[in-house]
Amino acid sequence: MLEVISSPFMQKAFMAGILVSLLTGLISVFIVLRKMSFIGAGISHAAFGGVAIGFFTGLNPLFTAIIYSVAVAIGIESTGRKGRISEDVSIGIFYSVSMALGVALVSLSKAYNVDLFGYLFGNILAITQTDIILTVITFILVSGFIVIFLKDLFLSAYNEELAQISGVRVVFLNNLFLISLAVSIVISIRIVGIILVSALLVIPGATARLFARGLVSMIALSCLTGVVSVISGLLISYEYDIAPGASIVLASAFIFFLSLVLKKKR
Amino acid sequence: MNIAVDIKNVSLSIKDREILKNINISIEEGHFLGIVGPNGGGKTTLVKVILGLIKPTSGSVSVFGASPETLITGKSFFGYLPQHQNIDPNFPASALDIVLMGRYSKAGFLRWPGRKDREKAMECMSMMGIEHLRNMHYSQLSGGQQQRISIARALAGEPKILILDEPSTGIDVVGQEDFYHLLKGLQKKMNLTILMVSHDIGTVTTYVDEISCLNINLYYHGNPLGALNEKVMTLLYGKNFDLLTHTDSCDKCERLRP
Repeated sequence: MLEVISSPFMQKAFMAGILVSLLTGLISVFIVLRKMSFIGAGISHAAFGGVAIGFFTGLNPLFTAIIYSVAVAIGIESTGRKGRISEDVSIGIFYSVSMALGVALVSLSKAYNVDLFGYLFGNILAITQTDIILTVITFILVSGFIVIFLKDLFLSAYNEELAQISGVRVVFLNNLFLISLAVSIVISIRIVGIILVSALLVIPGATARLFARGLVSMIALSCLTGVVSVISGLLISYEYDIAPGASIVLASAFIFFLSLVLKKKR
Repeated sequence: MNIAVDIKNVSLSIKDREILKNINISIEEGHFLGIVGPNGGGKTTLVKVILGLIKPTSGSVSVFGASPETLITGKSFFGYLPQHQNIDPNFPASALDIVLMGRYSKAGFLRWPGRKDREKAMECMSMMGIEHLRNMHYSQLSGGQQQRISIARALAGEPKILILDEPSTGIDVVGQEDFYHLLKGLQKKMNLTILMVSHDIGTVTTYVDEISCLNINLYYHGNPLGALNEKVMTLLYGKNFDLLTHTDSCDKCERLRP
């Protein structure tokens, strides 16, 4: 155990992992309450297109992924709201096209030494000091957004029309939420990877909802589920040399199913 | 008498389909209006136009002299009960949390309710006879209790106009009668203007001051008893209907409770 804690790369992984779990734990509450699980999965897969643009152009893949994912998130929201095509169809199209674009750009790019597996499933070794600083900044911005708009988010999760007649600017709020979601997804990619990040957006919130009696307790339980999943997942990843994304998601799924059984027994 | 809601020549088409056609309705402050008509007749759409949630294709709506769109960004006159609330049974809120949502438009910094907001919420819950449920989780409440919580939520914002869209769905017959009595009491006590959408034309006529019969066109607006004739009903529902009337001395009717 000491060996794990004392190794510098694991310290970075734990630091980044805990921040990511708090970030996704916060977002997850509203993903679950607003029934947006599919949009979370859609944006995270679409992020692959953004990462590949970075590989292809030589720009920082995290930077291109943030820009691309925010654009996709707003695109999905606005096409769905205008009613031209339904939101689930729009997500289905955006995410498969982005994955295809990603594969095409990675094939065309000359960067053969690219850590594709790491981007897809997470890589503890890849976490840098810059990643941690970026995660801290994102965490401060996203948690600030959630604290400021907590009641607006709560009311629009309860009923969007009621929120509107109470003076909540619903479209503005949704767009801000989607931007926070897209940025949080990209920031979490280093730890859990593109394919599995959507689990961290759903499972902590879903677990918390089983027991929470109020919004604040749901947020606390969701973050706790995320932190426990990430810490145990990272330890398993280190011990058995498994991609961290997989071990973290399996740990969170274990907590969820255990909670489900406990809830039924109560 | 003030005019609470004034609907002038309102028409609405969505994708070339006419939903509302040249509607004119004026509601006086403190009146109770029932809006009836078949499914797909535009009742809910009309309510959303009044609330400012949908813009009409032509015509205008004014609420105490202001347009609903300007009201929506400021302090609203409305207390609203939507038709389908579709609330997740595990939604993390107590009865009091839900009622407090009605105070968000009036609450101060970041919409966090203060002591005054809590007092108002409790006052509305006690008016509905549900103050003892305040700490109960939303999922533990019966359909009737949830409905009372929703009314308390709508009243907590101190509205001048209460809009209810099919509020009796999910409540049994006896519960419905109590519910309409409750609304009638609120109307008198608070000088509330009430707009209620309902498919239950028979019961509604007993309680409302005026009725609007809507099926894309407005076929009748006025005294509720005047709507219960074959001509209006045929225009509203077509030819396949039977109009049954019950009086106090009707021996075929069995009251469900004393």
